[in-house]
Amino acid sequence: MYTSENIKRRNPVGSSTNRDQVHQQQDDHHNSSQNRSSDPYGPNPLKPAFQQQQQHQQASAYAHRDHYQFGYAPPRKEYSANKYIRFYQQNDYILIPTLLTLVSFWTRFRDIKSSDIVVWDEAHFGKFGSYYIKGDFYFDVHPPLGKMLVGLSGALAGYDGSFGFDSGAKYPDIGYGFMRIFNAFFGAIMVPLAYWTSQELGMSQTACVFAAVLVLFDNAYLTISRFILLDSMLLAATCFVFFCLTRFRNERHDPFSLDWWLWLAMTGVAIGLVSSIKWVGLFVTALVGLNTIEELWDLFGDLSLPKTTYIKHWVARAACLIALPFSVYVASFALHFAILRNSGPGDAQMSSLFQASLNGNDFRNNPLYVAYGSKVTIKNTGYGGGLLHSHVQTYPEGSGQQQVTCYHHKDNNNNWILKNIKSEEVPEDAGSPRILRDGNLIRLGHEQTNRSLHSHRIKAPITSAQWEVSGYGDDSTNDANDEWIIEIVDENSHHPKDGQLRSLSTTFRLRHRVLGCLLTAENVNLPQWGFRQIEVTCDTRNRTNSPHSIWNIEQHWNDKMPAGEGNLYKSKFWKDFWHLNVAMMTSNNALIPDPDKEDVLASNPSQWPLLAVGLRMCGWGDDTVKFYLLGNPIAWWGGTLSLGVFALTAFYYIVRRQRKFQDVSPMEWEQFLAAGKLLVGGWFLHYIPFCIMGRVTYLHHYFPALYFSLLLFSFVIDHFVNRPGVSSKVRNVVWAVAFAAVTFTFLFFWDVSYGIRGSANETMRSRQWRAAWNIIDDHKPNTFI
Amino acid sequence: MEVWHLLNESLATGSESTLRQRSTVPKLTPPRDDSINTTEDAPKKVIKSVFTSAEKTNSLITLAGLTAVAIFARFYKIYEPDEVVFDEVHFGKFASYYLRGSYFFDVHPPLAKMMLAAMGYFLGYDGHFLFDNIGDKYNDNNVPYIGLRALPAFLGAMTVPLVYMTMREAGFPILTCTLAAFFVIFDNMLVTQTRLILLDSMLVFFMMCSIYSYVRFYKTRNNPFSLKWWSWMIATGVSIAMTTSVKMVGLFTVATIGVAVIWDLWELLDIRRRLTMQQFMNHFYARAIALILIPIVVYLFWFYVHFAILTNSGPGDDFMSTEFQETLKGNTMADGIYVKYGDNITIRHKDTSVYLHSHYHNYPLRYDDGRISSAGQQVTGYSHEDPNNLWQVYSDSLENTKVGKQVKDKDVIRLLHVATSSWLLAHDVASPTMTTNEEITTYSTDEDGSRFNETTFQIILESGGDKLRTMASNFKLLHQSTKVAIWTHPQKLPDWGFDQQEVNGNKNIVQKSNLWLSDNIEGKNASEIDQESSKVVKKRSFILKFLELQGKMISHNAGLTDSHPYQSSPIEWPFLAKGISFWTENDTRKQIYLLGNPLGMWIAIASLAVIMGVSGADLLSRRRGFYPLNQDVQKRFYYATGFFFIGWVFHYIPFFLMGRALFLHHYMPALVFSYMVLAAVHGFIFIEGVDGPISDPGPETRPRQVQRAVVPVIAYATGIILMVIHLGSFLFFAPLSYGTSAPDVAGLARRKFLPQWDFHFAK
Repeated sequence: MYTSENIKRRNPVGSSTNRDQVHQQQDDHHNSSQNRSSDPYGPNPLKPAFQQQQQHQQASAYAHRDHYQFGYAPPRKEYSANKYIRFYQQNDYILIPTLLTLVSFWTRFRDIKSSDIVVWDEAHFGKFGSYYIKGDFYFDVHPPLGKMLVGLSGALAGYDGSFGFDSGAKYPDIGYGFMRIFNAFFGAIMVPLAYWTSQELGMSQTACVFAAVLVLFDNAYLTISRFILLDSMLLAATCFVFFCLTRFRNERHDPFSLDWWLWLAMTGVAIGLVSSIKWVGLFVTALVGLNTIEELWDLFGDLSLPKTTYIKHWVARAACLIALPFSVYVASFALHFAILRNSGPGDAQMSSLFQASLNGNDFRNNPLYVAYGSKVTIKNTGYGGGLLHSHVQTYPEGSGQQQVTCYHHKDNNNNWILKNIKSEEVPEDAGSPRILRDGNLIRLGHEQTNRSLHSHRIKAPITSAQWEVSGYGDDSTNDANDEWIIEIVDENSHHPKDGQLRSLSTTFRLRHRVLGCLLTAENVNLPQWGFRQIEVTCDTRNRTNSPHSIWNIEQHWNDKMPAGEGNLYKSKFWKDFWHLNVAMMTSNNALIPDPDKEDVLASNPSQWPLLAVGLRMCGWGDDTVKFYLLGNPIAWWGGTLSLGVFALTAFYYIVRRQRKFQDVSPMEWEQFLAAGKLLVGGWFLHYIPFCIMGRVTYLHHYFPALYFSLLLFSFVIDHFVNRPGVSSKVRNVVWAVAFAAVTFTFLFFWDVSYGIRGSANETMRSRQWRAAWNIIDDHKPNTFI
Repeated sequence: MEVWHLLNESLATGSESTLRQRSTVPKLTPPRDDSINTTEDAPKKVIKSVFTSAEKTNSLITLAGLTAVAIFARFYKIYEPDEVVFDEVHFGKFASYYLRGSYFFDVHPPLAKMMLAAMGYFLGYDGHFLFDNIGDKYNDNNVPYIGLRALPAFLGAMTVPLVYMTMREAGFPILTCTLAAFFVIFDNMLVTQTRLILLDSMLVFFMMCSIYSYVRFYKTRNNPFSLKWWSWMIATGVSIAMTTSVKMVGLFTVATIGVAVIWDLWELLDIRRRLTMQQFMNHFYARAIALILIPIVVYLFWFYVHFAILTNSGPGDDFMSTEFQETLKGNTMADGIYVKYGDNITIRHKDTSVYLHSHYHNYPLRYDDGRISSAGQQVTGYSHEDPNNLWQVYSDSLENTKVGKQVKDKDVIRLLHVATSSWLLAHDVASPTMTTNEEITTYSTDEDGSRFNETTFQIILESGGDKLRTMASNFKLLHQSTKVAIWTHPQKLPDWGFDQQEVNGNKNIVQKSNLWLSDNIEGKNASEIDQESSKVVKKRSFILKFLELQGKMISHNAGLTDSHPYQSSPIEWPFLAKGISFWTENDTRKQIYLLGNPLGMWIAIASLAVIMGVSGADLLSRRRGFYPLNQDVQKRFYYATGFFFIGWVFHYIPFFLMGRALFLHHYMPALVFSYMVLAAVHGFIFIEGVDGPISDPGPETRPRQVQRAVVPVIAYATGIILMVIHLGSFLFFAPLSYGTSAPDVAGLARRKFLPQWDFHFAK
């Protein structure tokens, strides 16, 4: 073990501060010390002190590095004579995280069944979990991994998938406690991850513990971890990605070593996992991406690096950070499709062919050939396309006629009857039905309202460059604007392309006879008056290859035609994969705030960093156990404050460096910048996108960003208390105050996380720190800032 | 290693001929700053200018020629069409409002519209015409539209010499400057958009003033705090303020200059520049004054003038708060009178303009969907005046003890429906159409007082002072016992409710549509009103008025999200994927269709790609220790060409973040920069070396060796080819830009380079 004399904590500011010169020195030393290749990064700022110390022991030839090696490492004391204390001192790197993890488990698991009703979004995610158990195909905007894990937890708990998870419903005996513990486990492991990540970022041991305690005692993390939701998994995976990233960075001095490969691959897998839980995981992926670009740029400037090695760096990263995560993501979907083999509520989002392949779906028994007089539903073939739909509601502007939309929900309003146009002589029922062929003229009658599919020279409501499509007239009105031409595009099965219209497999366009435009649905959502369904237009641009203008017959009823032969159809995995992803994207984009409605649960990103809002997770009656999603105010405010302090400090140092003042040693400066880039960058990447994107945002969207600000909080305190001139007394007081403040605030808001019993108005008045929190009911209506 | 070098050489130059300009031996140190740069064998005299007087004369003649051509291009048949074209609808109208002094609201700051109004004023135009529809005839309405158009056309033409001089001051040879100016002259979009009564001409003019002034300022940097230095810096500050006073897009110009200033300050801070901290702070303060403080004052000044002119009530009143409207002459807000307890008032919903109404008909006991109501008296929203709209205001005590006292904010009141003699009441029963909201009904005075607690409402004034006043106060009525706000929405009740609007209790009490106002007090006649309100136009501090207007401008601008058939997305602009139909005339088949010069714009976007490629290659090669560009060429490339490129980036990229509807003409400022980059890139490829030094020498500047650019014949040849292509393309599309002649169907089809260009009369 090393002794204190060969550790100098700080480099006295010398004249040789130029980076090149440092390089030069290093290279010289390397030449003399034979076993190291060139090191483009200079001293390793992120490597935790203890690891560097071990290295140091192994190769005493590196003695010259001592004077700038241990920028942030706190002074270590001699081991105590007391054997228990010595045991602790020797094993603290295991004991501390173990203890933190145990406390974390206790806080997350205790009294987890305190509310026996379906709380908040358990209604969604519990239900999705049930679908996996039952194998019913469903649709949701999030990728499947998290929900499959929920399903797994249910299966492990012996739950059979029969519970409906209606919001607020009382749980039957389905092992929901176990399911919650399963989720809470993920929330719990954030704590040791925060500890280890801080260590990788080169913080002192106290700071590492403080970072972990911030995560441990954040009421918001605690609350959200204790229910059947995806957030705990998302957060744990995000923390894991970040941990892998910092760990990998610290292997940069030994590229292509086993550890280097291991952590690079782990980062890739972690990215895959986090992105398969929620797309928010792409933000931490972006952080990894930016870090990779920076690394490759650094390596590019290393003139002594052989080109083949440089290319190897690229290939290794492409394989581990692109191919590997993508495989994990695709695998989660493959598993998703493999488990969900039965027809279910999500069918309509998928292509007709995919639906036909599900158990319990009867499409394949529909009559094969479509004829005049057939009743059909018509599916748009664009990714995420819906069924042609109409309902009695009318357009508020334009023609004011009946709305025609595209809709994913299956109901009778999707049924259309393919009719002869009036001017033709042959009546529909005469003799054997006439099979529809390429070029036939038809009229589409809406079964429920008897209106005909109609278009005219009136601007469409949203895509105003195209014509509106409406439901108009009925069988008695003879309007040329009701006439459409069938143009067959392709035949997707083994049938010959003979110009006959078959259900499911034939794709076709519908061209308006008078205007020459194509019936199109481009996944543009109508406003609230159109129930956010997809706008249908008549596209004049004649884009004959656009999948949004191409349709197929999905369901088909015709008594006069023979039933289909059954299993003829197979959809391809990649097609289904893309289809589902585009549908997820489209639905996600449709989650935009409704200006007419002010959602009390939604909040604005500007309200998050200073915790201006909380969120009621369930009904607020006196006899419900009430949960209020609210962060630990000290942790949140501290985290946000530290962003500002860090920015100002960095600005101060940079300006001073331009004047050649050295406030910190080069070693410390490297570490300060490296950790700052990762933490501030991580925060920005997880926060700013929410300010830009138009969709509805909720408080829990801030949680991943919060993690970075909490770590930064600890980092900033650590930076300032480990300055020359700060006595250990001051240091201890600062840490003590910080620990105490976070712990006591956590305890003060205990009930908010573990459930408020009885009347909130009576017991929680003292917790209403900010006017816009609605823990209690009689907050003043006018003060909602 | 050699491969890198060669790769960079070829990428950077694209030409063998310039190889000798560049250092062939890789330098290990980066290029030094020029202020401390000396050359041993330099002549010992300080150079005033590198250009000979003959060159200066040539430059002046070229400048004069280009300006004359520019004026001709903008003024050609400016009297056609004598009809309102496209957004002249807005900006012509606003000019008229200025001349009338009636208050209007627009999302753009006032300067350019006031300039148009001033022009109208000098022409003797009185603002009688409102430019209501595209195609309205000017001559029939006696509007001096030629004069009004002359202002933007003149400033549009003046942009051309500014571009020329900016390039010239940045040290480019006459050929390069001419190329840039020529491209600006003959761009169809710049022509069309600047010869109509629109704001963009002023915007681009002031923007170029800012860039020109900044370049001049930067060249005086060796003589800091000299008169010239101050003058050009203040000129920059005033120009950016003027740009921003035309359109908020001017902030992009501010950002462009800002980035350059920050970069400059950063260089000054470098210890190697040998400035003391005091000297550096002086630099900093000087810039803060000239580039922050003065612009703010100028910007505010134009708003001050704006408010000073618009003193009468007008179409913009409704956008503003009550307090603001009270400052306008003839505004109805000034008629508002205070409501007292005991008064019979009407209560109107702010958003849907229906009166709170009740009548002797009850809710049906059972609705169609099977739900049950209280079967109490209906309370509805009714859009016509009617005696049943009257409500008498009572205080919350059982006896009406406060008769004659004024109703104040946060008072708890009860409302008595006068015609049916019953109290307004809300209770926890689902409303007819919304199960989430409470039913509002009334409760007869004949019955006992047991439901008193359900009839009290707190009145919360959201604007218009702290006392309830007709016309002026917007208020919410908050039910005391169940915490709902009285609310109505456009949903009509079924037949039993006479198709009147549903009124219910909204649990979301912060919703903005909960607002009501009282517009009448029964029996208070005009004379009484006159007595009560002195009809004085109130005063409001300028800064409050400004802040309110600025806030409204920003929120309304962001709210311009309605789709428009000719809107386009920023990604389409540089490629000219879409145009805008400005004006058509069916009889003559003439049309004005806004479109840039297609070939010119496509060459410009290619040159932008070149600059990105060259700087990327330079960056990569320098990372590998090679310096492929000659130090002076490199410096000119980054400091001049790069600056214009930054201008393009800053005037283009931010549009991607905007949610509002965007149009092709938003690309105009960026387009001017892209033409300047185009010319500079042409010079970079074909002209060898640079002219230098171009900056004014300072007292401490050591003498530097004069170097001159060599302009080979190939440069002239390619420059002329580019100009011919550009001019040809301009003339080809000129009929659509000027709207003076109508190409036939085949002609239009020939011009339809891209299928998305939806010309009229093309069939």
